[in-house]
Amino acid sequence: MNEQISRLVDGEIDATEMDAVCATLKSDAAMATWNCYHAIGDVLRRETAVTRNVAYALSRRLVDEPAIVARPARGGTGPASWAWAVAATVAAVTVVGWTAYTMVDDTPAGFAKAREAGTMSAAQMRPATVLPPDYLIAHQEFAPANALQGVGPYLRDVAASAPLRAPAAE
Amino acid sequence: MQYARRRLRFVSGRVAPAVFVLALVASAARADDAMQWLSRASHAARQLDYIGTIVYQIGPRVESSRVTHLYDDGQEFSKLVNLDGPAREVVRGDGEVRCYYPDAKLMRIEPGTFRDVFPSLLPEQQQSLSRYYDFRVLGEDRVGGRPVQVVVFEPKDGLRYGHRFWSDAKTGLLLKARVVNERGEGVEQFAFSDLTINAPIDRSMVQPSWPSVPPDWQVQKNAGNDVVPQDTGWVVTRVPPGFSKIIEGFRKLRGRREPVAHLVFSDGLVSISVFVEPLMASSSPAGFLRQGGLNVYSVRQDDHLITVIGETPGATVRQIAHSVVHK
Repeated sequence: MNEQISRLVDGEIDATEMDAVCATLKSDAAMATWNCYHAIGDVLRRETAVTRNVAYALSRRLVDEPAIVARPARGGTGPASWAWAVAATVAAVTVVGWTAYTMVDDTPAGFAKAREAGTMSAAQMRPATVLPPDYLIAHQEFAPANALQGVGPYLRDVAASAPLRAPAAE
Repeated sequence: MQYARRRLRFVSGRVAPAVFVLALVASAARADDAMQWLSRASHAARQLDYIGTIVYQIGPRVESSRVTHLYDDGQEFSKLVNLDGPAREVVRGDGEVRCYYPDAKLMRIEPGTFRDVFPSLLPEQQQSLSRYYDFRVLGEDRVGGRPVQVVVFEPKDGLRYGHRFWSDAKTGLLLKARVVNERGEGVEQFAFSDLTINAPIDRSMVQPSWPSVPPDWQVQKNAGNDVVPQDTGWVVTRVPPGFSKIIEGFRKLRGRREPVAHLVFSDGLVSISVFVEPLMASSSPAGFLRQGGLNVYSVRQDDHLITVIGETPGATVRQIAHSVVHK
């Protein structure tokens, strides 16, 4: 169930599971887990420096924000947009990684989530700037719509604005 | 009241199955239409001789390229020359693709295997096409001076982009294509601004502008290698609905000592590749990257780097990247 709550918070829950998860949130324990996960998510979305007290402050704010439980719009763009924001700021992400650890290390569920948050922050320390060329070409081979365009996929390769595949990078 | 309710139940009991069957028939018909349309466009792209100018738009940038395509002796040859900025070109033929970058004094040779997937989509992919996209013929229009048919693949969920295609009424060749994101904005588009179909084209017109590679250029060759289908030990636990695995295996990539695991998932229209490689000091950076209608997401997992590339929204590639586990 914790995993489902985690995915609900991340906006990754399948439509089919949505009602079941929302029903379980009526229990206090599930609600506490949900709160905890949301506190982490909220921190992740913020790009400002945070302190140890932030969990408390966020929890209080969360109480005042019932709208956050609203079922995401079908095909909503929430998770993607916040994830982009996370990727954007290296410094903030580092801080977030640390905060996620310190503020929830006394609840097992929270810890698991914090560990995930920590991994993510490490992953996004250096946002990708150049499309891995070998991967792109290997991928194109199987993209069905490419077969429609003939040379279409190579437009990405020759475009003057395309990042040059610098030999030094390999 | 009691009676009315029972009556309603009686009527719905009779009508509902009939409606259900009709709906099934209708959706099957649409799937056939979609398949037929896709096959025709894909066939035309391979087997017609044509020359024209393509305007390519990615985000706010617009560029144009000259394209020449020849189908000769059962083989495809094509040449694409960028008309803006450095005169980069891509020449395809004889089973390989040569990319020339005069600005970097670099030439890359890639295996030129494109799979013509449409005549042979897996049954799951065909099913996904009708279940996850609404295929509709919107009507007629003109592109590059030619009459076209406009069709749309509208996604039924937020996990894929919308695709609008303009195909030549006479031959089926795709003259314009647009990828539309979750917010209905075009993120990538290509269109012919002029085009001659069945033009007299010979092999000299699809040769590279450099008969031989200048001596001061660097040449990079990516040894052609197919994915040998096999179990890689890597699994995607939460595959987005509608996507099914079409291939899994290892491939060798330049600059990497160890083979890279490559898994491909497709919903019949687009595909998502998952690459898993051992983490190296020189591994590509992790994070998000978006280029037009293509999203890339890399994440480190213990001592491996997972990279997911797909013509889908960022959330879809991210969901996959975060659910890759080793068995």
